[in-house]
Amino acid sequence: MSVNEQEYYAPIAPGSPLARVLDGYDAPDLPADFAERVMAAAEARPAPLPELRRPARVGSRGWRIGQRIAIGIASFGVLATAAAATGLLQQIALPLPSAQTVWASITGTPVAKSAPRLAAAPAPAAEPAARPVVIDGPIDTPEELAEAFRRVEQVRVGRREERRAMVDQRIAREIERRRAAGLRVPTPEEEAALRERIGEEIARREERADQQIAARREAMERKVANGEAVTREDLAGRPQVDPALRDKVRELRAMSPEERREAWRSLPPEQRRTITQELRARRGIPSPSEPSPVPSPAG
Amino acid sequence: MTASSQPAPTALLPASPGDDAAWAARLAARDPAALREMIVRHARGLHRVAYRMTGDAHEAEDIVQEALLRLWDNAPGIAAKHPAGSQAAARLRLGGWLQRVTTNLAIDRLRRARRLSGEEVPEEEDDAPLADAQIEASERDDLARALVLALPERQRAAIVLTYYEELPNAEAADAMDMNIKAFESLLHRARAALRQALAAQGDAP
Repeated sequence: MSVNEQEYYAPIAPGSPLARVLDGYDAPDLPADFAERVMAAAEARPAPLPELRRPARVGSRGWRIGQRIAIGIASFGVLATAAAATGLLQQIALPLPSAQTVWASITGTPVAKSAPRLAAAPAPAAEPAARPVVIDGPIDTPEELAEAFRRVEQVRVGRREERRAMVDQRIAREIERRRAAGLRVPTPEEEAALRERIGEEIARREERADQQIAARREAMERKVANGEAVTREDLAGRPQVDPALRDKVRELRAMSPEERREAWRSLPPEQRRTITQELRARRGIPSPSEPSPVPSPAG
Repeated sequence: MTASSQPAPTALLPASPGDDAAWAARLAARDPAALREMIVRHARGLHRVAYRMTGDAHEAEDIVQEALLRLWDNAPGIAAKHPAGSQAAARLRLGGWLQRVTTNLAIDRLRRARRLSGEEVPEEEDDAPLADAQIEASERDDLARALVLALPERQRAAIVLTYYEELPNAEAADAMDMNIKAFESLLHRARAALRQALAAQGDAP
């Protein structure tokens, strides 16, 4: 830097020609009412908004960033789960692998292909409600007979379920009784085998009953087709039971085996014979020459 | 500044440490007496700066009024950052704060006026030599005024703060939000420009 240049950049010395020129630039005084104007303007000025309250920053910057990332990932996971659960991803054609597919990709096992899901068939148009059949008087038309069969079938289904429940209760009650008495109880395998045998017996009995009912129904249909009315005995498959006898049978059934055996022995021989014949007739068992529902005592 | 006609810069009145923090607290409490005291203390000095920056007395009054009202508005924040008794409170200088606001307001107004008038924008480096024609074309009759007003805004602010207001370079740099090195460079260029312009008028620098 030359001497002239140094003079150019040097501070402005008092009394120098440049200082004398610059000192001629005077500033005027403020007007007398300036303070009042400012005070009036301040008074008319709306109050400033309060400072924004920011939560105190705790922890280092890195931890705050990590916190935000964690919150972001968690929020994304929640939203993605909600979208997948509501089927939103399928609506926007995003393939969503099933849990089996993901597990198979991890373990390397092939995925059992499930049958392609068919589009849900349109619900069949509701058939016009059939007019309920009213059985008026004796059953002498095919419609009335079909309605009678339908009602009987409803009752049979309900009875089958009741019987199975009753069998289960009896088995459980007996096992509980033996356990309380300190007797040996069947193992789970034995109990399962017992239930299986009982189930097979019940199935055989129901199959036999179904065959008898089907034969009876064919006979009833032929009867109606010939213009004859179906009687109560036709539907029941046996003559109407004497109410006193029916009550006696129900009373015996409600007893325990020991009580039932004792009560049976105390019945008059004629009544025992009548009940036995009735039960055999109900079950379709041919009557032997010497009917005796109770086994003869050994020896 | 050596001109005897100019009063001593009121912005540089000595104040006890923490004094300005107490004033800020009173301003934050919306005490009109505190605002009036701030006007008495600082308005004349701020007006000188604004006038020498703009060359317009009315514009300078508007700038000073705006600066004082900004202090009034920002007092709660300033008081909160400088609680009484703290080190920050001891460092607080409301005069310097007002000077910074006034300088920036003046520079903003000059730039806005230049944009509206369509005048050519000077170089970023602020080192463009002053043209003789620019000075001669000035309608202002006072040579000093013409010299100062012909300077680019930031060079003008540097001259006003250091020569007329006699601020130390560090405080002037702070008022202009500059680091000291950059300010000194700016100040050198401003002095050179003034001397060059004065030489162009036929006087020795």
